[in-house]
Amino acid sequence: MQTKRVSEQLAWLAVALATAASALAQEPRQWLERMNQALTSRNYDGVFSHWQDGRVEMLRIVHRNLNGQVTERLASLDGSGREFIRTGTELTCYLPDKRTVLVETQSGEAGSLLASFPTFDEKSAGFYDIQELLRTRINRRDTRVIAVTPRDEFRYGYRLWIDETTAMPLKTQLCDSHGRIIEQVVFASLTVANHIPDSAFRPEVATDGFQWLRNDPSPVAAGVPNTSALWSALKLPPGFRMTVRSAQVLPGARDPVAHLVFTDGLASVSVFVESRSASVPADQQSISAVASVGSASAFSTVIDGHKVTAVGEVPPATVRFIASSVKRSEAPLAVGSAGH
Amino acid sequence: MNEELDSQLSAMFDDELPSGECELLARRLSRDAALQARWGRYAAIGAAVRGDVRVGSRVAQKVSVAIIAEAQLASTPLPRARRGASTAALLWRGLAGAAVAASVAALSILWLQGGYSSGPGTLVARAPAPAAPAVETRASYVVPRSAEQRMTVPATELANYVVAHSEFSTPVSRRNLLSALMASEPAAVGSSEQSQSLGSVDDPNPHADQAR
Repeated sequence: MQTKRVSEQLAWLAVALATAASALAQEPRQWLERMNQALTSRNYDGVFSHWQDGRVEMLRIVHRNLNGQVTERLASLDGSGREFIRTGTELTCYLPDKRTVLVETQSGEAGSLLASFPTFDEKSAGFYDIQELLRTRINRRDTRVIAVTPRDEFRYGYRLWIDETTAMPLKTQLCDSHGRIIEQVVFASLTVANHIPDSAFRPEVATDGFQWLRNDPSPVAAGVPNTSALWSALKLPPGFRMTVRSAQVLPGARDPVAHLVFTDGLASVSVFVESRSASVPADQQSISAVASVGSASAFSTVIDGHKVTAVGEVPPATVRFIASSVKRSEAPLAVGSAGH
Repeated sequence: MNEELDSQLSAMFDDELPSGECELLARRLSRDAALQARWGRYAAIGAAVRGDVRVGSRVAQKVSVAIIAEAQLASTPLPRARRGASTAALLWRGLAGAAVAASVAALSILWLQGGYSSGPGTLVARAPAPAAPAVETRASYVVPRSAEQRMTVPATELANYVVAHSEFSTPVSRRNLLSALMASEPAAVGSSEQSQSLGSVDDPNPHADQAR
């Protein structure tokens, strides 16, 4: 009888220990979820430095979520005068140095901005090591330092200094698979507020004489054929899966592009396929190109006479891999299939 | 300046000159002051045509600086006793000058075409290659031509792609992507230099140069 009681107590102890261990293991991941939640749902106004490849730019971000309607203003403080203002699903890019304004409107329901995030699940966890490194202080605030380390060279990792009270990231570093920092954001000031007035989202740019480029958010509805269902990737880097397949017209363009999105739950890559084969001159039919915007890599190539461009916050080899794997099928594929 | 040379210069700037001709023109560029001036104007004109006067002017300035520096090197009188021994050195200086001009030429071409590099892992727009290593390798003054050299996506189109892609990134990545897009080109020479000095102070990779 006594032996049975001891066995039961040991079993309970084992369960308790396992639960505690599981909670400890999940905690860093929970901090990531809290951080994403804070970045999208809180109202905040902050100034931060953006470092990338030896250059530093100071920017201001003002973010408001009012009953699910996201409004955000990102402004350069260093002289270019560029501002990006998001209202719901519309993003307006003021580029005074180019005397141009780009307006990009996403199709779909209001608030889809929040729904379009990659989902970090159990499958994703297999491709990253996530651990809490230490607790420290930044700007006199207690922070948790969470490291997200990739397990292969197809993706980047992060180090995140997350404010314990608000779950806002006060400092973030993007690192390559060797741990080398390739991009860093550090907040110099950050105010989390209950209410931010509309006036905080008005652009300071005078747009007299500027060229305005807008997109048509619903090319299919306007009678433009949606060819995105014809395109797919035959092979993907480990962990990546297709989550979105759509067609859209980009600002300043006449014809829609097929837009495919692949993600491993943290990193994502977009593939754009131009719908008109005539857009590729004959002398460029076999030419590829690489590029970068900040830490994002881009790779462009020509497949079946169509220009295919992959863009994502991943190493150059990953966008090259994905773009090169894109193929056109004769019959439309099931839209939204993600079985890769 | 004859029309053929003019058209060669234009083709070189547009990256349409065969490598052999490019090599010869780069050599001539290093020792011909009139051609150098012409090249500087092409850089500015090319930038203006592409609607990016600011960046182009900076590139043209870099080309000019590189060429002027080389011209000063070449015009420095040598001690008489070393003249014979220095013939090879002078030749190398000429080649180095061509290397500088050609490498900056390649850089300017790629920059003006939207930051494209000539191959994987050599993202020219991010990290302009220093001119010094070109002195050590004889072949590097030839503007390389490869299947990945020609741009296929204009800069504005690339910006559109990045903006469209950012909608499907995590909140941190989205903010970083848009921030990078804002900072993708220097606002002006002055502020760019200021930013770079700030960057060197705040560099999170203090030994990055060694690592690279």
